[in-house]
Amino acid sequence: MVDRLFAGVLLVATLAYAVIAFTAIKAPFQYDPLGPESWPRILSLVAIACLLWIFWRPDASAMGVARRTWFRLGATVAMLIAYSELYEPLGFVLSTLLFGTALCAMLGGGIVRALAFGTAAGVAGYLLCAVLLDLNLPAGELIERAMQSSDEKGAS
Amino acid sequence: MDAVLSGLATGFGVALDPFNLFLVLAGCFAGTLIGALPGLGPINGVAILLPIAYGLGFGPESALILLAGIYYGAEYGGRISSILLNVPGDAGAVMTTLDGNPMARAGEAGRALSLSAVASFVGGTFAVVLMTMFAPMLASFAVTFSPADYVALMVFAFASLASLVGRSTVKTLLGATLGLMLATIGIDANTGVARYTFGIPDILAGIDFLIVVVGLFGMAELLTLVEHQVAGRLKSLPVDKSFVRMADLAKCRWTIVRASVIGFFIGILPGTGASVASAVAYGTEKRISDGGKTFGTGDVRGLAAPEAANNAAAGGAMVPMLTLGIPGSGTTAILLGALLMFNIQPGPMMFTQRPEVAWGLIASMYIGNVALLVINLPLVGLFARMLTIPQHYLTPLIAILAFIGIYTIVGNPFDLLLITGLGVFGWFLRKLDFSLAPVILGFVLGSLFENNLRRALSISGGDWGILVEDYKSLTLYALAVLVVLAPVWLARRARRMDGEAAADRG
Repeated sequence: MVDRLFAGVLLVATLAYAVIAFTAIKAPFQYDPLGPESWPRILSLVAIACLLWIFWRPDASAMGVARRTWFRLGATVAMLIAYSELYEPLGFVLSTLLFGTALCAMLGGGIVRALAFGTAAGVAGYLLCAVLLDLNLPAGELIERAMQSSDEKGAS
Repeated sequence: MDAVLSGLATGFGVALDPFNLFLVLAGCFAGTLIGALPGLGPINGVAILLPIAYGLGFGPESALILLAGIYYGAEYGGRISSILLNVPGDAGAVMTTLDGNPMARAGEAGRALSLSAVASFVGGTFAVVLMTMFAPMLASFAVTFSPADYVALMVFAFASLASLVGRSTVKTLLGATLGLMLATIGIDANTGVARYTFGIPDILAGIDFLIVVVGLFGMAELLTLVEHQVAGRLKSLPVDKSFVRMADLAKCRWTIVRASVIGFFIGILPGTGASVASAVAYGTEKRISDGGKTFGTGDVRGLAAPEAANNAAAGGAMVPMLTLGIPGSGTTAILLGALLMFNIQPGPMMFTQRPEVAWGLIASMYIGNVALLVINLPLVGLFARMLTIPQHYLTPLIAILAFIGIYTIVGNPFDLLLITGLGVFGWFLRKLDFSLAPVILGFVLGSLFENNLRRALSISGGDWGILVEDYKSLTLYALAVLVVLAPVWLARRARRMDGEAAADRG
């Protein structure tokens, strides 16, 4: 059942892929016998054949995931999305602090320890990666603005 | 032979540079730590650390040496969680649990760990020595490959992948095709036509390889950890003071040699990695020497065989990657992608064009093997500590590392959403028994496959007959058919023999 569902979703995507390959992709001019559209066409046919086979003989019947687990997974994905959205606006330190604390608390770390972990990960991570290893991490728009205004004050 | 010796000299010159030597050691250490983490296998470890290693801005040979150290170390570390926790870090370590964990439960954890370290060392070193001899030979033969032969080689690679990896052939094939399809996104290099970009500027250049790797492996792994989350810590068996005895080594001598040979040659087959090798080695050893039916209850040979094969396969998988540009396993597919990011096209020309990279890597594997043995014997207690890191710290840490790695590539927050999406997709694939290695293999080989096909047809002016003209292509197609049909035939024969045996008894 689940197999068929997943294969169905993939089939829709593959059909869309195939339609684009057969109609939309076209090189304005070309000298080679195979253009940019041929390879996607071949691939889409292979993929559709595989998907139809899975429809014919599905082998996974259930996901075997409890409802509470679904909830936990959904929450994790939501946190990851929030983390990516906040990464630049809040900066690495703050967003990591929030994300680390939230995920750690949800996974049963206890709120105090989660907070300690989040803070440590945010601050130590920034010091290690941005300062010591010189990697490019966002300082955060808020912090940058604060820094700028203090710079201006210092200059004036 | 001269070429090999002078190549090795170049290689050791690169690898013994103090900075590179430090990187080998650091990579091995970090790799062992990651490999020892419960549930986090080598492929996920390399996937998570790859973007960070890339972001550090080292030269290509240094970055590659670091990554190879991590890969090697992770293969080593994987056995620790198999033996002490009975939780294999990846498919390749499953066989290690069969005899390793019973030994630890019998109070001989130290003996099991040190024996497996020695077996891994012998297997790994054996593979590197064979690789040193074979790789240049294979490379000089591969120079004569035409585009049509490359197409055949690719077909063979995917055929052996489909028949040997994963539970369902069709699902593996579909996974590889999905990878190939993902690789078509972006601007076509030959004509400049944008394919499947839907006007999103972020993916005009194609989806970055690092994003696919970290998404499909790192993030999907994270979701799996969340799914299987258990409160508190896992119960780890204590590491005691027992140590491997000479008698054990004498008993395993031939086991280790046999398993190393099996592991190396299975590792060379494109698409098959440590998991198949360790399973075959264990099976063979059981058939040969399980006279007293002690396998599965803590027999030293049952532990040594998969461990030697495992590490020999890790070395063997490097051979097709370095000489043909076709990776032998999921993890080497990631290393291949890493080479491509440094604008180095792995393949037959690499030994002549970039000898310092090719030989530096090989030399660093010699050093890495020794370093791992030296690190592992005394420090195993420290690595075993890693097992008790609670999941609720480990899981967020993986996400944070993955985000740091991806953000540092180009500083685009859109990529972070992309890895999350790919992680969800990868989790579904894993849940439904697709293996992920074919997807990444398809993704890495996508442009190579397409370009060679197009080039071959350009040469022939559109005549598809060119694909089956040469004896090399024909041999490869024959091998592809063989590798697909052989398991089916063997299974049928085994069933028939079972049936006959049952009939005899009845």
